[in-house]
Amino acid sequence: MESPDLAVRQRTYGLFVDLGRAPLAGEVAVACGVSESAVLASWARLQDQHALLLDPSGSRIRMANPFSAVPTPHRVHAAGRWWYANCAWDAFGICAALGVDGEIETTCPDCGEPIGTGVRNRRPTEPDLLFHCLVPAAIWWNDIAFT
Amino acid sequence: MNLFRSEEHIGRWLDGRAPGATITAGKLCDLAHAWWGDRLSPEWKPHPREQNQAILDGLGLVGEFWHLG
Repeated sequence: MESPDLAVRQRTYGLFVDLGRAPLAGEVAVACGVSESAVLASWARLQDQHALLLDPSGSRIRMANPFSAVPTPHRVHAAGRWWYANCAWDAFGICAALGVDGEIETTCPDCGEPIGTGVRNRRPTEPDLLFHCLVPAAIWWNDIAFT
Repeated sequence: MNLFRSEEHIGRWLDGRAPGATITAGKLCDLAHAWWGDRLSPEWKPHPREQNQAILDGLGLVGEFWHLG
């Protein structure tokens, strides 16, 4: 990963946390002191390296894993905010990335009932809940939104 | 990649599809901290595939399903 792309990536993630939402390319451009087109070019290369995922237009962040830019069934309350995660793994990942405790709320894909767990000192308060990963690791990024 | 209350719920949700892998939320939490814990660090660098595979291996997530390819 080239240094300018790494700088854009770091600013993108920093702004995501500061704003509580995915930053726009223009916001990252101002923060980095580069053009918006340069940010979009960096984002495209970062996507190629699986460092983030853009929406189909290629101009907006869809995933800055573990954070989701769009609503999902996986919500996390941490560091004073609600966040959306891309999946249950990423829900725990938000607490991990922020380095804080949190509350995870999701729903059972089978019955639709709410499922919740806290995270305290890096441990879940409901450790016996089960996590199912349908897609083998080798092909996670073939369709990361489905994975 | 979802949470379930029991194997019974997973089985109904699969509805005949081939199952993937199931681990406890406790193991998942360990995995998440190892995988994502440095994501906001100023020193973050992309994880090489070998580093991510070592995380999986270190948690006992081994075998064909967990092989990153």
